[in-house]
Amino acid sequence: MRPLVIVPAFNEAKNLPAVAEGLRRHAPGVDVVVVDDGSTDATSAVAASLGLRVLRLPVNLGIGGAVQTGYLWAATHGHDAAVQLDGDGQHDPADLEALLAPIARGEADLVIGSRFLTREGFQSTGARRVGIRWLSLLLRLRAGARVTDPTSGLRAAGPRAIALFARSYPSDYPEPEAISLASRAGLTLAEVPARMRARVHGASSIRGLLAPWYIIRVSFGLLWPPARQALHGPTEAEPPRRATP
Amino acid sequence: MTHDILPRVVQLVSLGVLALLLGWVLRLVRSSRLPLRESLPWLLSTLAALAVTAFPGLLVQAARVVGVQVPSNALFGAAIVYLIANVLHLTVTASQTAQRSRRLAQECALLRAEVEALKAGRVPLPPGPGPAA
Repeated sequence: MRPLVIVPAFNEAKNLPAVAEGLRRHAPGVDVVVVDDGSTDATSAVAASLGLRVLRLPVNLGIGGAVQTGYLWAATHGHDAAVQLDGDGQHDPADLEALLAPIARGEADLVIGSRFLTREGFQSTGARRVGIRWLSLLLRLRAGARVTDPTSGLRAAGPRAIALFARSYPSDYPEPEAISLASRAGLTLAEVPARMRARVHGASSIRGLLAPWYIIRVSFGLLWPPARQALHGPTEAEPPRRATP
Repeated sequence: MTHDILPRVVQLVSLGVLALLLGWVLRLVRSSRLPLRESLPWLLSTLAALAVTAFPGLLVQAARVVGVQVPSNALFGAAIVYLIANVLHLTVTASQTAQRSRRLAQECALLRAEVEALKAGRVPLPPGPGPAA
């Protein structure tokens, strides 16, 4: 297996060194791309100085567009597995092996790292857990996906999921919708326990009045998912195919 | 008949404004700032407004046909529907444009990383078959 670790990062210059250190310790030699989502701080420079490959977006696309950039790299550079690991340090690179195991065994196309399987680590707040439960229910009813932690941004993708996500990936609050997309495209899902940490620097982008809006917006996307042909046809521009120079 | 629903002064001012609008749209098309395809709704709606302003009887007839008692209400109704359709069309166009620029930005990021790898003397692309698409 040639896994690629995709690290979406928007103004994470302070958090990246710890992420890079964790990756060095737990996944030495693995390919990493830091997707700099139009940061205004030194994210790209810090990532490069840490010896990480940087995919620097010229404008801020949001988490969906940033993560998809990583999947495009994976799809065009011969990677048969990809792991999303947030650049804010909330995910533990120690979980990489467990996330990739079901893909290596051929048992799953998309593996979600869940906080709630063993209830270890940062468990989020009560109101947020209620929202997460609701999204789980919607995913089960509308997409037939059984997932306990649909908003988790820690996930691993096999070749079929990489191809799907390189072609089409939701944009605004993509995590639950990406699961719906994968499930409806016929991919096999799995979940493994993961420990997450409360963030060290910065604040969640979903706070205050945005939290209910997040739930409404995502519920909408899950209740009325795109038509089936959108899953298979080229809904967006075809992913670039490049020959080896 | 005519001066009952549209006083002469208002009619003349309206015709003048509509003629200016028509001229403006035509100028945008001629200077290729507005594609002909996009300009058609504007040209047609402006011409229709010109016709109704020049011959208000047309509006009275049309309102009677669709069963609206006050002709101006028929005009307002039609205008609102037309404007809403226009805004919806613009929203669709804007999100298509956003999707395209998203893909362009992603391509830029990939190409920049590849160019930098090549400049550093590294091979950015591994040998072997590409992924199954």
